[in-house]
Amino acid sequence: MRIGQSQRFDQARPFVALGVALAVWLVAPVAIKTFARASFFEMTAPVTSVASYVSDLQRFWALRLHSKEALIEAGRDLARLDASYSLSVQQNSELQAEVERLERLLRMPPADHYRFEHARVAQRDFSVWWQRMVIRKGADYGIPKGAPVVYSGGVVGRVAEVHAYTSVVELISDPGLRIAAVVDGDTRPISYQGAENPVFGAARGVVEFVPLDVYASLSEPKRLATSGLGGVYPPGLTIGRITHVEPSADGLFRTGEVTLDIRLAELKEVTVLVPSNPG
Amino acid sequence: MAAPPERSGSLVESKTGFDPRIVAFHGILALLLLILFCGLAYQQLIKDAFHHEEERQQNERRVIVPGPRGNIYDRDGRLLVGNRPRFAVVLNLDELRPEFRREFARILSNYKLTGDRDIPAADQLEQIAHASVVQRYMDQVNAVLGRFGTVDSNRLRNHLRRQLLLPYTLIDDLKPEEFAILVEHLPVNSPLQVYTSNTRYYPYGAAAAHALGYVNANEGADDEEFPGEGLTTLKLKGSVGRDGLEKQFDSLLQGEAGYTILRVDPAGYKVNPPIEHRLPVQGHSLTCSLDIEIQKAAEEAIGDETGAAVAMDVRTGEVLAMASKPGYDLNAFSPHLSVAAATDIEARRAWSNIALNGVYSPGSTFKILVSSAALLSGAITPTDTPADCEGVMMVGNRRFFCSNGLEQHGRLALSDAIAESCDIYFYTVGLRTSADVIAAEARRFHLDRPTGIDLPGETHRMLIPDPAWKRRARGENWTPGDTANMAIGQGDVQVTPLLMACFAASFARGELWTTPTLLHDPRRPAQHTEPIGLSGPQRAAILKGMEGATMERGTAHILTSLDVLRVPGVRIAGKTGTAQIKRPQGEVDEAWFICFAPLENPEIAVAVAIEGDVPGENFAGGRYAVPVASAVLKKFFEKKRASAAAIEPPAGPS
Repeated sequence: MRIGQSQRFDQARPFVALGVALAVWLVAPVAIKTFARASFFEMTAPVTSVASYVSDLQRFWALRLHSKEALIEAGRDLARLDASYSLSVQQNSELQAEVERLERLLRMPPADHYRFEHARVAQRDFSVWWQRMVIRKGADYGIPKGAPVVYSGGVVGRVAEVHAYTSVVELISDPGLRIAAVVDGDTRPISYQGAENPVFGAARGVVEFVPLDVYASLSEPKRLATSGLGGVYPPGLTIGRITHVEPSADGLFRTGEVTLDIRLAELKEVTVLVPSNPG
Repeated sequence: MAAPPERSGSLVESKTGFDPRIVAFHGILALLLLILFCGLAYQQLIKDAFHHEEERQQNERRVIVPGPRGNIYDRDGRLLVGNRPRFAVVLNLDELRPEFRREFARILSNYKLTGDRDIPAADQLEQIAHASVVQRYMDQVNAVLGRFGTVDSNRLRNHLRRQLLLPYTLIDDLKPEEFAILVEHLPVNSPLQVYTSNTRYYPYGAAAAHALGYVNANEGADDEEFPGEGLTTLKLKGSVGRDGLEKQFDSLLQGEAGYTILRVDPAGYKVNPPIEHRLPVQGHSLTCSLDIEIQKAAEEAIGDETGAAVAMDVRTGEVLAMASKPGYDLNAFSPHLSVAAATDIEARRAWSNIALNGVYSPGSTFKILVSSAALLSGAITPTDTPADCEGVMMVGNRRFFCSNGLEQHGRLALSDAIAESCDIYFYTVGLRTSADVIAAEARRFHLDRPTGIDLPGETHRMLIPDPAWKRRARGENWTPGDTANMAIGQGDVQVTPLLMACFAASFARGELWTTPTLLHDPRRPAQHTEPIGLSGPQRAAILKGMEGATMERGTAHILTSLDVLRVPGVRIAGKTGTAQIKRPQGEVDEAWFICFAPLENPEIAVAVAIEGDVPGENFAGGRYAVPVASAVLKKFFEKKRASAAAIEPPAGPS
């Protein structure tokens, strides 16, 4: 009889332990939970980073297998691209100088300046409820929480968590991210928010408070850009394209759907805009 | 020793015999059970609906949200009145219940820890806790926006008691930049959210203020129109038209309110998603007949003077412009009119729409009607020269002067008398025609009654006097002097600028009356009323005189002699007028001008009335009213030419 009871207890021991652990976690103070989560993340961060480096190495070896001709062609393409970028940089610097001259003439306050911190993407975490990625730079590079993250196609998202060597970026497709945006050619701010995304479909967002005189359709999409008014993102960065608008029920505004760049899901490198004068 | 009696082994004594007390007890018990059962059946079966309703009323709340009002457009589709989004940052209090509880416990424990025996009552502690939590959220907003807002605990208490389910407004009417900042800084799932409502928006500010009208807040839609009868109902304020088109077409413009029926817990906090929900729907839009460009031209031309101008489509009676000055900025009413703004409007006497409510003697513009009466009655012919103007004439024992022209007019025929507005000519013609005939002609033109325009508050104080009226109203006999005064549109003749615009439009069509409207209908048929009955030569003589008024010797000659006022390529038929009105500061002049154009095929009729403000100042129609009409006509024909050029096919290859 005793032996039978002991066996049953042994069998139930894992469940009891799990129950006790859950109960302890539930009643544990917030500080301990936060510390535990941060510690867990920091412990797994090297693994994530190493996996990311291995992935880079795999890619490197995959490229090594290409033919010489293909590599030469790619090198030429790169050279052309490099030349066009050099030209753009030169033109940009001239324009920048002109803008600065006009700003001085108009006695405008200095614009926000950012330090550009380029970072490799270590991990992507996409689901219906959240859309995040981990980048291989964190507090070690002075990345602050809330900093905007961009790439050549526009806005990537915003830094949601900063750890010692990594940071978690909340993408613009995340339903928890909201941006004050403007439609191309308009100055009135509207609200952009990530939508609940289909598991296998392209990421998308929604816009609210769109003025009634703004139209967009799949055949005539409108570019959606950051307004710069919200204080987080500099103005003019592409968010996506509004492909559908419809009147809101109260008749005051339109609401619409935003198609995001498919490259967002495949990014390998992003740039964090670290404000020069935070706060 | 005898053996003790054998026990049954049971401690319960049984008695099988008849016991009336037991029977009575059972009866009472049965009766009580029956009563209980009947009561239960009554409550469960018969009063079921009542209890269900009680439960529903206790657990459900209804929120009614008014629908946005419809827009008002001008005849070219430009937005005159719309809805402006009004952004506010609000706090959803029903999501803060756990925080309120924690804060309550924290404050109470603080009191206990400090040993303070003067602990406030529970409801006071609750109020402190509520205010403290809400202030924390307010501080978040303050930090982001750089404001210093504080929570009004009394307002918060009232809101929690009466409108817990409605969002509590922390900051209203945010600027677009503030809206943008909050959008990026407020977490998506925070109880703090940006809330939008709407308020009336007037892109053209003060333009056409009187015609468009304004709205005031009201209690919103009637509860009985919505499901959920008997439920405790929370209503967001709606708006109701108080003047102008907003009032006249209020039922059309009103939006359809939406509602939400929510389930709440005993404390009134929302639980679960809404049981029923219907979104509000915007009201119907309205296209009015005003042309905002012509309207603005009229208002700018009137400037800071007091007066009105009405421009009308001769063919349809659609009002193209209805300017009344002084006016007010309609945006001052949105979201609500401040006391200071209301006082200012009151002080400037700007509430009244002078085009509808300003009653003035029409002065010499009335001479067109007198001419018509005289010609139709046979008192004169177009070529008669019934008077020799020497600047003054005796009527009875009173001297009547010719107020127009610095020199004597001499003998004039009708056309010249109209062009030069010779008073002596018209005294004589009026006396020949008689007051009764002139009054009858004025009534034929409907100058004695409101026009029936689709705007509220049109005055009934217009007056066409005659001998019978004078006897009835004043108990006095009519005198030849009264007739002479009437013949030049003075004395007791009282009309509104709108009436005179209708008169000008009617005369332009050769008909007796025009029903004005402020609604635009591109397919509206031309109005046709009874013809005036003038013969060709008679009408031609009057028209010649009216055109002459705008030419070299005419009283409105500046219309053609001054480059800035000239309307190139358009022949205009007009008539100036100057009347006197009594004001607290003394008797001032009223400058009039009525006209229509083009003379050959009239399209637009205009009436302008401008009040002088200095007693004794010569405030002649030719100098003060004509420029306003000129601005209106210029804009009208400029637009017409631009429109014609736009639809003209491009020239083919040569």
